[in-house]
Amino acid sequence: MTADIEIRNVSKQFGAMTVLDHLSLSIRAREFIVFLGPSGCGKSTLLRMIAGLEAVDSGEIAINNERIDHLPPGKRGIAMVFQSYALYPHMTVRDNMAFGLANIGVPGKVIEARINEAARILEMPHLLDRKPGQLSGGQRQRVAIGRAIVKEPKAFLFDEPLSNLDAALRTRTRIELAQLHQRLQSTMIFVTHDQVEAMTLADRIVVMNNRKIDQIGTPMEIYERPATKFVAGFVGAPAMNFVDATLDRSGKNATARFADGISVQTEIASSQLTDDNYTFGIRSEDVRIVAAGQGNADGVVDVLERLGERTLIYARLGDGQQIVGSDAGNSRVAVGDRIGLAFDGQKSHLFNETGRAWHAREA
Amino acid sequence: MVDRLATSPTATLAVGVRAPTADIYAPQWRNFIFVAPFLFFFTTLLLFPLLWGMWLSFHKADTFSSGNFVGLGNYARLYHDKVFLQSIWNTFYFALLTVPTLALIGLFLALCLNRRTRTAAVLRTLFFSSSVLSVTIVTLIWRIVFIPNVGLLSTIYGWFGATAPAFISDPSLAMIGIAIATIWWCIGLPMMLFLSALQQIPQDIYEAAALDNANRWQTLRSITLPSIKRTFILVIIIQIVLQFQLFGQAWLMTRGGPNNLTKPIVLYIYDTAFRRWDLGLGAAASEILFILILVAAMAQYLVTRSRGDQA
Amino acid sequence: MSATASIEGRAFGDHLLLALVILLSIVMIAPVLWVIGLSLKDNTELMADPNSVFHAPYTLKNYINTVGTSSVFIWVRNSIIVSGGLTLGTLILSSLAGYGFARLNFPGRDVLFVIVLFGLAVPEQAVLVARHQIFSMLKFHNTYQGLILPGLSAPFGVFLMTQYFKAIPKELDEAAMLDNASRLRIFWKVLLPLTLPAQATLGIFTFLGAWNDYFWPLISATRKDMFTLTVGMASTQTNFAQSEGIGFLMAQAVFAGAPILIVYLFFQKYIVTAVSGAAVR
Ligand SMILES: Nc1ncnc2c1ncn2[C@@H]1O[C@H](COP(=O)(O)OP(=O)(O)O)[C@@H](O)[C@H]1O
Ligand SMILES: [Mg+2]
Repeated sequence: MTADIEIRNVSKQFGAMTVLDHLSLSIRAREFIVFLGPSGCGKSTLLRMIAGLEAVDSGEIAINNERIDHLPPGKRGIAMVFQSYALYPHMTVRDNMAFGLANIGVPGKVIEARINEAARILEMPHLLDRKPGQLSGGQRQRVAIGRAIVKEPKAFLFDEPLSNLDAALRTRTRIELAQLHQRLQSTMIFVTHDQVEAMTLADRIVVMNNRKIDQIGTPMEIYERPATKFVAGFVGAPAMNFVDATLDRSGKNATARFADGISVQTEIASSQLTDDNYTFGIRSEDVRIVAAGQGNADGVVDVLERLGERTLIYARLGDGQQIVGSDAGNSRVAVGDRIGLAFDGQKSHLFNETGRAWHAREA
Repeated sequence: MVDRLATSPTATLAVGVRAPTADIYAPQWRNFIFVAPFLFFFTTLLLFPLLWGMWLSFHKADTFSSGNFVGLGNYARLYHDKVFLQSIWNTFYFALLTVPTLALIGLFLALCLNRRTRTAAVLRTLFFSSSVLSVTIVTLIWRIVFIPNVGLLSTIYGWFGATAPAFISDPSLAMIGIAIATIWWCIGLPMMLFLSALQQIPQDIYEAAALDNANRWQTLRSITLPSIKRTFILVIIIQIVLQFQLFGQAWLMTRGGPNNLTKPIVLYIYDTAFRRWDLGLGAAASEILFILILVAAMAQYLVTRSRGDQA
Repeated sequence: MSATASIEGRAFGDHLLLALVILLSIVMIAPVLWVIGLSLKDNTELMADPNSVFHAPYTLKNYINTVGTSSVFIWVRNSIIVSGGLTLGTLILSSLAGYGFARLNFPGRDVLFVIVLFGLAVPEQAVLVARHQIFSMLKFHNTYQGLILPGLSAPFGVFLMTQYFKAIPKELDEAAMLDNASRLRIFWKVLLPLTLPAQATLGIFTFLGAWNDYFWPLISATRKDMFTLTVGMASTQTNFAQSEGIGFLMAQAVFAGAPILIVYLFFQKYIVTAVSGAAVR
């Protein structure tokens, strides 16, 4: 089963504090959507509104073109996996999964079959008669997912389900979730503050910030053409380099000039730009390391981070500003070296004071 | 037929009438049924009698009827009743005898028994065990300790050829006898409260003190006691509330005698209301007790609440 | 040098404390042993010399008399009915109300809860006179309901269960709601099983309190066949000296006290939690 979900103009207040301010969002059937944003930005609240656990103050939510915001949580045909898993501690794994089905009068045989199928998919038939207290964190997580699967819901909601797992298990479970989505072909909404999870899992990412949605797009759109400075800074590691710049808009494309006279020729059309003061942004992989004097700017290496397949170089410019560039994995650069930094104009971004972004014309 | 279709829920939705959004946390009257059974008993057997008792205290009443309104008459009678005034004094005297003793012995025991050894566990069990006995058994035990001839006390004194003090019949000792029995009965609770307070003191403070070469006495004075100051006050207040309600021990050991010298307020209420059936006067006396206890309970509330501020 | 001194001082202090604790333990135990000793002695022998406690012959005669001749069994039965009924009622009412106050919202909830909390500060004596009069009118005295009902109005259980329900993560309720469970089903199937420790604590505490209660049964149950054990035992004490004999009374005390002490040894943890919890509130 699957469903498209339509969120129209939804707002939410807690007391005097507005948490969500007129959000709209269309989720397509079978889509894997990730709500990404810093802690406290209202991701869980939006998810819980879809689930029916928070009231909708204004606006509408519809599943398959039917309004659901007046329905109680159980009647919306969705399943949710909580961050804490919220397994019923006194019930066995089997009973945890059966509870929701028994409540709506599904025949015992069907329940049995669905539980066995889910246990097979999640590779946990041997756990069915244990209680949650006898399971490891990762196993509990599976049970929580299993409890959702057996309901054959129209949509799955996940609220930071991986955050209680250790790093290795998190990576593995991430891959399994992606496989599960492939297999079930169901709509999934996944909340996280971890941009790696978002990038790896999502068909589309919804970046939320400060009561609003900043951008909705595929992971690569979000990464390459962030709509705002917030998105640009939040997505990607290490964070994008930002440098204050004044623009020379005399040419076809704008040229950014930094404080100590360095200039970068961007491929952003001057005609789009109205102001002179922008923030220039560029990701570390778009800053190549060259011999001193050969690039747009020279810097002194502060720190090296060897990641294996590449090396991050933290270089300090003449005016004290730090720029992160990237070099080959076996880079010969050493701390204290004087190096040149070559900025890729095609991959440069400009942000105005309100945070709005401009990018190079699409290639 | 057509009408019915038009008013079906889907039809309503279709024409765009906004259904109320589901709010699982919204106040709903039907949730009230979960608390209703308790509230029924609470209202009829606690709140109502509380108010009814106040009302009674302004009336001359017996078992079946509430007679004439006498205003503050009952309170005036109490004020002039030597026995009532004596019972108030007795209650305070009893509290003075028991409360500090209970707090100090309880603290002492807690400090000694706050360790993980088996002996300590057994002794904790022992010192709390008397608390689970009924007042009838406790008074039976202590009367048999105090009683002349076959009493434990007189037997022990007899070994040394001495005569045991007459804890039940001697006017100056009777209340002390009751206090001893009460302390024996009640020592478990203060000990347990102090123990749980001691266990909440973070262990690393002690480790830090040990590194600073503090000796045991210094550690006790500068770390342990200050951290349980609040519990000490709490124990005192709890015990005041409990011991102000003295009844069974006095009634069963001395009947309030000799000469009303061990008659506490509750026994006065019992005598007045349920033996002389002067319900109005008894009600007035119980209002006085209520006020005394309420003051202590308020103090307890303030102490427990301000504990949060400190943490 | 100074190190040894302090170790010696420490040892001396330890011995002093130990002696004090032992002394207090003797004070705790000796009266009970005395009572047990007396209960095992023939009355005439006792009257002749109390020191006869320390040597044979011992006899079970007093216990046989207790079991055979007195009304003790009726009182025990009454106590079991009253304490059991009150415990059951308290558990039901407190669980329902605790769930209601902790988890559900209804108009006036917070105000009501404050009023219930205020009820914690009301001592029994403040309502006793009026309660007695009301029960007279309802002809409840000398009945089981007359002995049971007043205890159902005590707010402590509600307070305890509310705290306990509040400590259970709300996500459990929410997961159950997504699982299409009604409020009643959530209460019964999901949350109530998790409150078992609290039920045990509250149950034992209520049972013990009812079993040991003296004041209300004293004024409400005036017929000998409606006495609870506590009141009944007290009634035989009144004619202390001229009674059937000291040993007999002591046998009664042991007979009444031993079961409670045994229960205490088994459920010590719950009892201590409950009593301390009730005191601190
Ligand atoms: N029940 C509530 N009452 C009051 N404030 C709340 C409640 N739930 C969430 N909030 C507030 O709403 C904001 C958004 O919360 P949440 O949706 O949980 O954020 P996120 O999941 O993105 O970390 C936070 O500031 C949080 O403090
Ligand atoms: Mg969240």
